[in-house]
Amino acid sequence: MKFQIPIGPQHPALKEPISLRMVVEGEIIRDADLRLGYNHRGLEKLAEQKTWIQNIYLAERICGICSHSHTTCYVQGVEKLMELEPPKRGLYIRTLVAELERIHSHLLWLGVAGHEAGFDSFFMYTWRDREIVMDILEIISGNRVHYGINTIGGVRRDLDELQVKRILDSLDILRKRSEYYQHLGTNEPSFVARLAGVGYLSREDAIALCAVGPTLRASGVPMDVRKDDPYAVYDEVPFEVCTADTCDVLGRAVVRIKELFQCYNIIEFLLKNLPSGPIAVKAPRRAKPNEVVSRYEAPRGENIHYIKSNGTDKPERLKVRAPTLANYAATIKMLKNGFIADVPLIFAAIDPCICCAERAVAIVDARSGQEKVVPIVTLKQLSQKISSNNAKKREVAWPL
Amino acid sequence: MNDQMVIDKARESLKDKVMELTNPAPRRLFLKVRVEDLLTAVSWLKEEMGFTHLATISGVDLGQSFELLYHFANNFTCLTIRTEIPRDNPHLPSICELIPGAILYERELQDMFGIVVDGIPDPRPLVLPDDWPAGNFPLRKDWKYERPPEVIPGGKK
Repeated sequence: MKFQIPIGPQHPALKEPISLRMVVEGEIIRDADLRLGYNHRGLEKLAEQKTWIQNIYLAERICGICSHSHTTCYVQGVEKLMELEPPKRGLYIRTLVAELERIHSHLLWLGVAGHEAGFDSFFMYTWRDREIVMDILEIISGNRVHYGINTIGGVRRDLDELQVKRILDSLDILRKRSEYYQHLGTNEPSFVARLAGVGYLSREDAIALCAVGPTLRASGVPMDVRKDDPYAVYDEVPFEVCTADTCDVLGRAVVRIKELFQCYNIIEFLLKNLPSGPIAVKAPRRAKPNEVVSRYEAPRGENIHYIKSNGTDKPERLKVRAPTLANYAATIKMLKNGFIADVPLIFAAIDPCICCAERAVAIVDARSGQEKVVPIVTLKQLSQKISSNNAKKREVAWPL
Repeated sequence: MNDQMVIDKARESLKDKVMELTNPAPRRLFLKVRVEDLLTAVSWLKEEMGFTHLATISGVDLGQSFELLYHFANNFTCLTIRTEIPRDNPHLPSICELIPGAILYERELQDMFGIVVDGIPDPRPLVLPDDWPAGNFPLRKDWKYERPPEVIPGGKK
C-alpha cells in the first residue's frame, strides 16, 4: 500500500522552508516531488528597478550563508560590462573573503551533517570552530554575515599587517581542528555507517541532472568553476579539485573536508603573496549596452549570473541561478528508493539554501483523513472566521 | 579544447544553422540559432562536444520577442546558445530528452514569461503559488506589480 507524505514547507526536520511530497511504501520512498515558491521573493524583477550599486546589496541578500558568492558573481560581471580592471590587491582580498566564506559554510555543513546523523557533539565542535572564521570575517569586514566588502571595481576595506597576522594565527588552530574532524569523520564507525551508501547518485545521473558543487564532485566528476573558468586570482593560486567516488553522503562529507584543507592553503598563499597598491578603482554610473555571463564557485557549487545592460544606470536583466536549484533534480533522484529516515540527511547533504516551496497549505481533515490544498486567502478567511468568535473575550475584565 | 576549436567545429558541423557565433571574452561563446534548430544544436553540443552541463536557461523580454539563452559549460569553456521566439506565439521545444536537468529551468520559464514549452515532461507551475492569477507573467517587461490595498479585518476605528 502506498501513502503520500507531505513534508514542509514548515517542518521541524528541515531547517528552511521546502515542500516535499513523498510516496512511501512502508519505509521506502518510491517517488518524491518537490514544490518551490514558498520563499520566492521576485528578486530578478526588483533588480531591474535598482541601480548597479544598489543591486550589490540586493544580491548580497539572496542568501545569508553564501552572501559573498552572489555579490562577487554580480560584481565581476558588472566590471566586465563597465570595462573595469580591478586592482590586484582588491582581487586578492575578494578571493580571501570568498575562501573564508567557503570554510565557514563547509564547517556549518559538517555540523548539520553530524546533527542529522545523530552525532551532536560533532555538530557542537564544528560550530564552535566556525566562530573562529566568523570572527576573522568580522575583523576584515566589520560584519559576520553580510560582509558588504565588494564594490564595483574592487573591495571596500583594506587589510593591515596586524589583521594578516591574526588570520594566520587562527588558521593554525583551524587546521589542527580540521585534521581531527577528518580523522573522526572518516574513522568513527557509527558515523561512517550512518553516512555510507545513503543518497546514492551515480556519476551518469549526476552529469545528466546537471548537479553542481560537492554533490557533483562526490560522484567523481572533477568540475570546479575555479579551475575550469578561473575568475579573480584563481589562475595564480595553486589548489586541487577535490573529488570522491563513493557517490553517497559520505563522499559529500569527504569532499567538503578535503576542500577545507585546500581553503587553508589558498588563504595562506593569498596572505603571503598579498600585493601592495590600491584596493579599488572608481566605477562609472552607467554601463554600455552589452551582456555578460558570470560564473562563480560558491561553497554549494556553481553560481551563475547573466547580466544584460541597456546603457542606463540600471540593468536590463539580471538572471540569478543559485547552486541549490541546480541540485534539486539530483536530490529527487537520491531520495527515490531510500528510507524515509534518511530524508533529512540526504536533503542536508546538498547543503540546501532554500528560496522555495509553495504558498498554499495542505489541510488534512483529522477525522476523515482527507487532504485538500487551499490557497492562503481561504486560510486567512478561515482564521478570521474562527477568531471572530473570540470577540467577547476581549471585553472580559483583566483579572489583576 | 579551446574557444577557437569550438568555433571551427561549430561552423563545420552546424554549417548554415549558425546564425551568429561570437567570442566576446575568453571562455565565453555565444551561438545564435533559429528555434527550429535548437534541438539539433543542443544534441550536437552534448554528443560531439561534451557540453553536458546546462548551467541555466535565461529568458529576456525584448519587446516584440523573447530571447532564450541556454548556458552550457564543460571543463574548458562556457557556451551560450541564443534563440528568439515571437512574443505573440511563444512556443519552445523542450530539451529535457537530451538534458534531463533542464526541467526546473523550463518550468521556471513557463511561470515567469508565459512561454509554452512543448513536450515538457512536467508542466506544473514551479515558483508561482497555486492561486496566482492566470495570464500574469512577472518577468515580462509590461508586467507591473501593484500592491493590493490593505484591508484591516473589522474595519478601521
